[in-house]
Amino acid sequence: MTITEGAPVPPTADAAPPVIQVSGLRMSYGSTDVLHGVDLDVRRGEVFALLGPNGAGKSTTVEILEGFRQRSAGTVRVLGTDPARGGDAWRGRIGLVLQSWRDHRRWRVAELLTHFATYHEAPRDPAELLALVGLTGQSGKQVEQLSGGQRRRLDVALALVGRPELVFLDEPTTGFDPEARRDFHDLIERLARDEGVTVLLTTHDLVEAERLADRIAMLVNGRIRAHGTPAELARSAAAQAEVRWTAPDGTARRERTADPSRLVWELHREIGGPVADLEVRRPTLEDTYLRMVHQEEAPQAAAGPVADALDGGGRQNHAA
Amino acid sequence: MTAVTTVTEATDADGANGMAGKGVGEGGRSPGGGSSGSRRRYWRAGFLRGRIEVRHLFRNRKELGSHLINIVVALVVVSNLHDDVPGTHVPMTHLALCGFAAYLLFQIGLVNLPQILVTEREEGTLLRLRTTPGGIPAYLIAKSVLVVTMALATLVVLLSAGALVANGPLPHSIDGWLTLLWVSALGLLAVVPLGAAIGAVLPNPREALALIMLPAMGLLVTSGAMFPLTSLPTIVQKIASVFPLKWMAQGVRSALLPDAARAAEPAGSWELPTVALVLAAWAVVGFLLAIPLLRRAARRESGSRLGERHRKANLGAAPAA
Repeated sequence: MTITEGAPVPPTADAAPPVIQVSGLRMSYGSTDVLHGVDLDVRRGEVFALLGPNGAGKSTTVEILEGFRQRSAGTVRVLGTDPARGGDAWRGRIGLVLQSWRDHRRWRVAELLTHFATYHEAPRDPAELLALVGLTGQSGKQVEQLSGGQRRRLDVALALVGRPELVFLDEPTTGFDPEARRDFHDLIERLARDEGVTVLLTTHDLVEAERLADRIAMLVNGRIRAHGTPAELARSAAAQAEVRWTAPDGTARRERTADPSRLVWELHREIGGPVADLEVRRPTLEDTYLRMVHQEEAPQAAAGPVADALDGGGRQNHAA
Repeated sequence: MTAVTTVTEATDADGANGMAGKGVGEGGRSPGGGSSGSRRRYWRAGFLRGRIEVRHLFRNRKELGSHLINIVVALVVVSNLHDDVPGTHVPMTHLALCGFAAYLLFQIGLVNLPQILVTEREEGTLLRLRTTPGGIPAYLIAKSVLVVTMALATLVVLLSAGALVANGPLPHSIDGWLTLLWVSALGLLAVVPLGAAIGAVLPNPREALALIMLPAMGLLVTSGAMFPLTSLPTIVQKIASVFPLKWMAQGVRSALLPDAARAAEPAGSWELPTVALVLAAWAVVGFLLAIPLLRRAARRESGSRLGERHRKANLGAAPAA
C-alpha cells in the first residue's frame, strides 16, 4: 500500500497557521486506548473530512477539538488556542452542528436565530441566513415542526450566526432521506465556496467525504490510516492492482502489484501461453476503505464498539 | 507523499482556498472577551431570553393548564374546610390557603425548575448555550426571570381567586404586604438554587418527576401547610422544621393571618427572625451546591453524551409507543 499509515499530515505550504493543529493526540479511558497518536492539520478555508466507522474515535477526536473532553496526551491547537483552555471569545469563533441536538423545540425558527444573534458582537443578518440555508418559508414555524433535514439546516444557520471561522459538522446527514442529503451537501458546498468558512466534517460515509471534502483523513481504530485529497486517495488506492488467475495446476491465485502489466507478461511467459481466468482489478477508494475497516474489525470484534462499524452506522436511524 | 501538499483536483476546493486569503473573521474581534460591552450583551440576551420563555409558557396550554390545576385543586381543598383553627377564631380555610401559597412557591423552585432544567439538559439547550459566548449566564438570568414570573403569577391568581371564591385572606396592612414580599422572595431564594442543583444531577425528566414529587408531597403534609403544626407529633414537627417549606408557610401566615392565629403556632409566635434565618441558610446552602453542580453539568455535556441519552430514551420509549 502506498497510502501512508500513521504519518502526520504534512504542514501547509503557505504561511498562514493551520486552523486546527493536532499532533500525537492520545486518549484512553482507563486501560482502553481510543486514540493512538493522531496527527492532523486543517488549513484555513478548506473542508476537511474525518472519515471512519462508528467507534473509530471520530467523536472523541472532535470533542477534544471542541473543548468538551480532556485529552490524555498530545498537542492540540484550534484557532491558535488549546481547546482545554478556550474561553468565551474562542467559543465565539467556532460554530457547532451536532446530530443530537433537539433543543428549543417550542421556539419559532426566526425567533431562535434572532435570539442567538444577540449573543454576538457582529452577528449575521438572521433573515439573510435563513435564506442561505433555505428556511425562509419556515421562519414562522415552531422548531419541533421541522423535518430532520430542515432542523439540521437550522443548526447550520445557528452555527453561522456569530460569523465563526471554523465550523464542526458532526455526522450531519445521519438519518436523512436522499433528497434531504443532497440539499444538505449543496448547502455545505456553498458554505465552503462562498462564505470561506473552514469546515471539519465527521462522517462514516465515504461518498459524502469524497463529495464535500478538499482533504480526507481516514480514522480507523484510533489511528489515521490514510489522508490526502479525494483524488490522491483514489490514486493511491488504485496504485496496487489485484491480478487473479488460475495456475496450470488448477489453483486460484491472486497477487497485488503496482505494475500489473508486467506481472501479466511474466505470467504469460512462465506459463507459455494464455493465462487462465485472468483478471486485473484496480481497487476503488471504497474497496480500500472497506478493507481497512474490516482488517481493524477482526481483532476488535470482541470489544464491541467497532463491530457494527459500517452497516450499523448506515442503519442508525434518528427520528428525522 | 509530496503530492499531498497541493490540492490537485476538486475545483470547488480551489474556490474555498481562494477565499482563505480574505481571512474571514481575522482581526476585528477582541480576543479579551470579558469586556463590559460583552457583559452588557449577555445581560440583554438573558432578559430577552427570559421574556421569550415566559411568552412560551403562557402560550403552552398544557403547561399553563398544569399550573392552573394546582391552583384550582388548592382552592377546592381549602373551600371544603369549615372549622376554625383550634384555639382561635381563624378559619382553617385561611390557614390552608397560606400553606398552599407557600407550597406552590416551594413547588416552582423544587419541582418545576428541576424538571425544566433536566429536560433542557437532555434536549441540548444547555449544551447549545454552553457553546455560545455568554450563553450560560444568559440562561441563568432567563431562568430567574421565568421563575419569578411564575411565582408572582401563581401568588396573584391564588390569593385573588382565594379572596373571591373562598373568602380568603389578604394582607391587612402595608406591613403585611411587605412581609409577604420578603417571605416570598427569600423563600424563592431558598428553594430555587436548591432546585437548580437537583436539576443538575437528576438523570432524566421521567425519573425526575417521581424522585422529587414524593418528598415534596410529604413535606406538604408534614410542614403545617394544610393543618396546624401543633396537631402533628413532635418528632414530625422537628423533622419538618429542618426544611424550608415549614418556614415559608409560617412566614406567609404571619403576613396574611391576624395576630390571634399565633396561638396555633408551636412557639406561640411567628418567629420571623428564625424564618429569615432558616430561609437564608437554605439559600446559602443552595447556592453553594448549585454553582459547582451546574458548572459540572454544563461541562459534562457533549454531543456524544447527548446522543447516548437519546438512544436510551428512544429504546425506553419504544415499547410504550
